[in-house]
Amino acid sequence: MQQRQWIYLFIGIAIAALIPAFLGTYWISLLLQILIYGLLALSVDLLIGHTGLVPLGHAAFFATAAYTTAILQVRHAIPSIIAAPAGVLAAVLLAVIFALSVRTKGVYFMLVTLAMGHIIWGLATSWVALTNGDNGITNVPLPAVGPVEITSLKEYYYVVIVVVGLCFPGYRILIRSPFGLTLRGIRESDSRMDSLGYHVAAHKFAAFVMSGFIAGTAGVLYIYFNRFISPDTAWLHVSFDALFMTIVGGSGTIIGPFIGSVVVHVMKNVVGTYTGQWLLIMGLVFIATVLWAPYGIVGLIRRLGKPDEAAGDPEACGDTAPTEGA
Amino acid sequence: MNWLIQALNGFSFGALLYLLASGFTITFGLARVANMTHGGFYLLGGYLGFSVLRWTGNFWLAMLASGAGIVIFNFFFERYLIRRTMDNVLAQVLLTVGVTYVIADITLMIWGSDPLRIRPPAFARGPIELPFDILYPRYRFLLILFGVIVGAVQWILYKKTQFGAVIRAGVDDREMVSAMGINVDRLFAIVFALAAFLAGVSGMIGGAFLTLYPGAEWEILVLALVVVIVGGLGSLEGAMLGSLIVGLVDAYGRWLLPDFSYFMVFAPMAILLLFRPTGLFGKEH
Amino acid sequence: MDQIAVELVGLTKIFGGLRALDDVSLRVPVGERRAVIGPNGAGKTTLFNCIAGSLSPSKGKNFLFGQDVTALPEHKRIAMGLGRTYQITNVFHKLTVLENVLLAVQGTQKQKWLFHRSVDSFPGSLEKAREQLARIGLDHRRDLPVHQLSYGEQKQLEFALALASDPKVILLDEPASGLAPSERQRIADLILHLPGDITVVLIEHDVEMALGLADQVAVLHQGRLIMDDKPDAVRLNPEIKEVYFGNI
Repeated sequence: MQQRQWIYLFIGIAIAALIPAFLGTYWISLLLQILIYGLLALSVDLLIGHTGLVPLGHAAFFATAAYTTAILQVRHAIPSIIAAPAGVLAAVLLAVIFALSVRTKGVYFMLVTLAMGHIIWGLATSWVALTNGDNGITNVPLPAVGPVEITSLKEYYYVVIVVVGLCFPGYRILIRSPFGLTLRGIRESDSRMDSLGYHVAAHKFAAFVMSGFIAGTAGVLYIYFNRFISPDTAWLHVSFDALFMTIVGGSGTIIGPFIGSVVVHVMKNVVGTYTGQWLLIMGLVFIATVLWAPYGIVGLIRRLGKPDEAAGDPEACGDTAPTEGA
Repeated sequence: MNWLIQALNGFSFGALLYLLASGFTITFGLARVANMTHGGFYLLGGYLGFSVLRWTGNFWLAMLASGAGIVIFNFFFERYLIRRTMDNVLAQVLLTVGVTYVIADITLMIWGSDPLRIRPPAFARGPIELPFDILYPRYRFLLILFGVIVGAVQWILYKKTQFGAVIRAGVDDREMVSAMGINVDRLFAIVFALAAFLAGVSGMIGGAFLTLYPGAEWEILVLALVVVIVGGLGSLEGAMLGSLIVGLVDAYGRWLLPDFSYFMVFAPMAILLLFRPTGLFGKEH
Repeated sequence: MDQIAVELVGLTKIFGGLRALDDVSLRVPVGERRAVIGPNGAGKTTLFNCIAGSLSPSKGKNFLFGQDVTALPEHKRIAMGLGRTYQITNVFHKLTVLENVLLAVQGTQKQKWLFHRSVDSFPGSLEKAREQLARIGLDHRRDLPVHQLSYGEQKQLEFALALASDPKVILLDEPASGLAPSERQRIADLILHLPGDITVVLIEHDVEMALGLADQVAVLHQGRLIMDDKPDAVRLNPEIKEVYFGNI
């Protein structure tokens, strides 16, 4: 089982690495968006698929990291070796503050995170002295570490492939670890976990901060890709997109959020060439997903592959159950 | 007397938020439906009212239309969509967000992206003279009165009538109420309709001083939700106190620290989270 | 002097207008099997919830191995060596049987915080979990999601979860309710074979089973402790008969 996944990963990375040889900037750019937003969706899924919390404001961490790195590089000429980790750190610190939200559950948690996410958008818009308001921050350079300077989108593409590629096994270990199992127990029943000796609030806090870390990483990857940031990046749509990606791709899996990212970006690009009404289309797709594919694409495929398991729960056959001697 | 004026601003904005928050909180308390489409209702209701006002020149007719339009929309929305997601909160969120997107794009197509202002009726224009030599926009003052009246009517309905007693029982224990033979579906339908009506009307009311524009549906929803968070899900008193708090914090925030006014709204929420995560009047569910 | 595992002093729990527990005082020495019986609504599960810590008493104090735990949160009491089952099975339905027990095993261990190594790399825990499963005869079904288990099997799993952390005190809330006679016998055997140094407090509606397993019996009625004596004394007491047996 594990070997198969490593093979898939290598094949995936190999294919991704070959893309620039055959396809132009448009495709590289598309793939970069898929990977970066896929990583954001992954951070959301750590909470949804594994902790049972539904965050509606993760764009806050994404944007905070991006803004931090952008401001440091553009305004203070701080080199990437510091600016990039600083961005991630900023997201983590924000997550520590926003982790107050894990004191709530269910719908409350959703509403609180929604409000928190929106507040960051509000700050980005109104704290003009720091963020330049609606004009945003432009001319963010490509990253450079010592003698190694990224000089083109294509080169940056490889950086992102490596980073996201490393996230896959890292995330896999995380969710297959005792901590990951703990989170899934919490997802199923807070109270039962209490009575088994778990300090549930502390674990939720940790999961939330980890999620912020991953979202922040995605944010830093984003700013060097887009090289421009505005409050739009903190707007609710970004958080909802991430949510949708994990659901449509398949929550509780590793590849699901990325599949969701492919779906969303292909849709946006295809729809975008025919009509400007992509909000309408997205909305209809959200609705359709809820009505007909609530377990997402991965769930559908699983269901098609095992029709007799239709009574069971696709999540239960996820790649998270420990296997002895594996 | 600037601080008094800001207080009035806070009250009037709070009144507007109350119209949305009360509907959301009771709908959730009773039916466990987290209807995020309330923002879309606000926008659509507002635009509908705007157009009816333009065609007929009659403010009251327009207000009725804005409310009724949303009631009708909500009827179909609830019956054919929400019902399919009962008790699955994640699905509900995605669904209601999706419907809001659809509303947003359709209203954009019909009414465009420029902010539209609704013209208040003649009796509500201009300033009103208040004690302490204060001149305040008549419209916003009337909004405060309207909010108080709506709140009072809801209060009486909720606490002093048989109907209200059944709803309160339902908020406490839905299964009990249905086991008692009460037609729960009809109860829900009435409560949903009331909430929808208020949401639509609030769009028209808000449209007069906040204007209607793409994005307003989320901005107003988030603040209404902060009211619900602070006040507690399922509680009418919570919505009242919450809208007062949020309205005042927003008004004073904009006045004292305009760059950080959004952040100010975070403060009551953070305090609640630290000490009473289920809200001032919320119940442990 | 026997060490006292669980001690309750004047424990009272009031819900709104209802006195679920009224001035209950109890001392359970280490190693004893104490049964708690009483008609429905007597407050037995509330008692357990207070002992375990999922409910805070309105009045009174709670001691575990001599330590005042009245204000201690539930998970910390579990860490002190407490285990409990629920009357209505409270297992993790979407997780596998093995995952359920693993969660119970690692619940009182620091390991639960590690996120850089897979669960598989802790053979000790896996072994322990499988041992627990073997004891209740579910090892061969360990990879099944729990919702596919029968009710009886889930009840047995519930039992295994409580024992998995090697507790020193175990609270069993109607462990045999809803089970077929053969399954009830199995649970009774499991309880009988629990190590002598574990303290067992047992709520059981099957009075004969309770009297058969217990060293001492506490009788609750409308929140009050009306008797706390040897099984034979309880069996013969006419007042108890009226309160309890008369209700059947």
